[in-house]
Amino acid sequence: MSATASLSRRPATPQGRDHLGRLLRIGLLPVLLLVVVAGTSLLSPYFLGWMNIVNILRMAAFLAIIACGQAMVIVAGGFDLSVGAVVALASVVTAKVMAALATSLGGPDILVVVLGVLAGLGSGFAVGLFNGLCVSRLKVSGFVVTLGTMSATAGIGLLLTNGIPVYGMPKSFIQNVGRLQFLGLPIAIYIALAIILAMAFVQRRTLFGRYVYAIGGNQEAAVVSGVPIRRHLVGTYVLSGVFAASVGILLTALVGSGQATLGGDAMMLQSIAAAVIGGVSLRGGIGRVEVVAVAALFLTILSNALNLLRIDSRLQPIFLGLIMVLAVALDEYSRRRMSSV
Amino acid sequence: MSDAPLAAAPKTAAEAPRQAERRGLAVEWLRQLALPAVLLVLLAGFGAADDRVLTGYNLLNIAQQASYLALFAMAQMVVILTRGFDLSLGPTVSMVSVAAALTMAGVGGTGGSLVPAVILGIIAGLALACACGVFNGVVVALLGVSPLVATLGSMNVAIGIATTISGGRPVQGVPAPFSEIFYSGSVFGISSAIVIACAVGLVLHLVLNRTVFGRSLYIIGTNPGAAAVAGVPVRRLLVAAYILCSALAGLGALMMTARTGSGEPNLGGTLSLQSIAAAVVGGTSLAGGRGGVVTAVLGALFITILSNGMNLTGVDGYVQMIVLGAIVILGVVIDRLSLEAR
Repeated sequence: MSATASLSRRPATPQGRDHLGRLLRIGLLPVLLLVVVAGTSLLSPYFLGWMNIVNILRMAAFLAIIACGQAMVIVAGGFDLSVGAVVALASVVTAKVMAALATSLGGPDILVVVLGVLAGLGSGFAVGLFNGLCVSRLKVSGFVVTLGTMSATAGIGLLLTNGIPVYGMPKSFIQNVGRLQFLGLPIAIYIALAIILAMAFVQRRTLFGRYVYAIGGNQEAAVVSGVPIRRHLVGTYVLSGVFAASVGILLTALVGSGQATLGGDAMMLQSIAAAVIGGVSLRGGIGRVEVVAVAALFLTILSNALNLLRIDSRLQPIFLGLIMVLAVALDEYSRRRMSSV
Repeated sequence: MSDAPLAAAPKTAAEAPRQAERRGLAVEWLRQLALPAVLLVLLAGFGAADDRVLTGYNLLNIAQQASYLALFAMAQMVVILTRGFDLSLGPTVSMVSVAAALTMAGVGGTGGSLVPAVILGIIAGLALACACGVFNGVVVALLGVSPLVATLGSMNVAIGIATTISGGRPVQGVPAPFSEIFYSGSVFGISSAIVIACAVGLVLHLVLNRTVFGRSLYIIGTNPGAAAVAGVPVRRLLVAAYILCSALAGLGALMMTARTGSGEPNLGGTLSLQSIAAAVVGGTSLAGGRGGVVTAVLGALFITILSNGMNLTGVDGYVQMIVLGAIVILGVVIDRLSLEAR
């Protein structure tokens, strides 16, 4: 199994060329990251301040969690446009459930918090399950299905709140989840690290991870090899939904209220950008979550650096757009060169 | 495809596929008639629920609103035919709107005559749109980047340009003759937006069905490898398709700018996804090679009638988002099922 997957990922080429190609492909991101970090720390005294670093890491953690799920879906050959809307829905559902339980139950905070978090994760699970079932059972393109669920999910989130922030969550949830720090870092960062490590393990060492590569690499071949592709396709969308929901819950704890405006299109587009810059091929079958996490860190640092250097925030999307196209064009170039040898 | 020459094929063997083809055509006809039928049912239903829906005024209103979306759906359809899509369509609209308004305000505001200001504004807007199309086309066709990433990139660039050159504020000073041409004017009592959309639709229909360029787009979408082998200049035509898409979006942007009377840096908003939704609901296949002007227009009409009817019958705006999402999913599911039935 793993032999076929790695074969499809790396065409047989002479050793030297292979190294050069891989350097071209993986080498770009760390270099860009170093350039941005070095340049900004020279130009701005605030960049390497502890507060700023914590801030960067926290924002990168949110993006990395979502991008991990997005990467799994794209590796399997799919697409998830609904992640931004799921962040909003999970935020609203978590806050609503907690507020309702806190008034009706009045009981121990821990019970209220656990049930609220479960409800939030459940909403992400449900959206992911729906996406996955549509894609795997009805064989509809993931792009269109998640385009539909994006609109529907955002609508449900707004409908539940009428666009008004939801308050009334237990104080302990905000203090212990949103603003608690461990060794000077917010716990969101540890959660992100745990998820990235777990997913890196899943991709390399579990049947699910290998099957996802196989499905994305060549769906027909995977079917013929006896891979139960339906179940695994659903699995990727469910993962993506649950990860997006967990970010929604973490953001809710951070801002202290449930809001249907969290996440949104910007988060969805950034997660795709992180996955793509992180070397995930939109053709499926290629991509590592740890590289995607680095790409998420890079995007966060880039936007932070542009802010600190007082570059007009209106110009910033231009940088993001050009870097994304450049990264993928280079990737495509190196792959063509390798396969033409 | 068999290798034997057609003349040598026995008559009886040729009869069976022809029959199957005829049955396929019948199914195709049914499928094509389904959406117009649904449209009529929808109109009748909303008409029964609210008296204002079926008034002549509202029907014209629907036609006018749909003409903008139809234009964008047609633009999107051109690239979807080639297995691509254009996420930068919405921001292109914003960018063109702002650039055209700035040009017109700049040239006309100095006391000069308004006619050159309008002409220069139109040229500037369309040129910028075409530039965006060239970027998309070159990145997709020559650099081999997937359309999604390419247009996601140019989408960000276009957003940046639109907000930067306008300073994030609406651009005032759009001359009256411009609004006359693209919005308030009318031909035989029909507002110019509808006239322009119909004219563009007609021309595009002819281009797609009666020119080598148009037919080649279908071939590229159906089977890019075969198209290349058959000698179709795939790369050049792909670039042309993206330019055509952006130019149509630019035209729509000029029409919307005339309607609002100012250049708006977020005029495009959710148009990228809306235009994809309209094209897909109408029956344009994201797998490429299937669709046309009719599917784009029907999809745009469908979404417009639905939202107009829901507005008039007082359906909550948030519920409308859910309904739209459900419709998009239902549209592709039905498309998929009908494909399998064939």
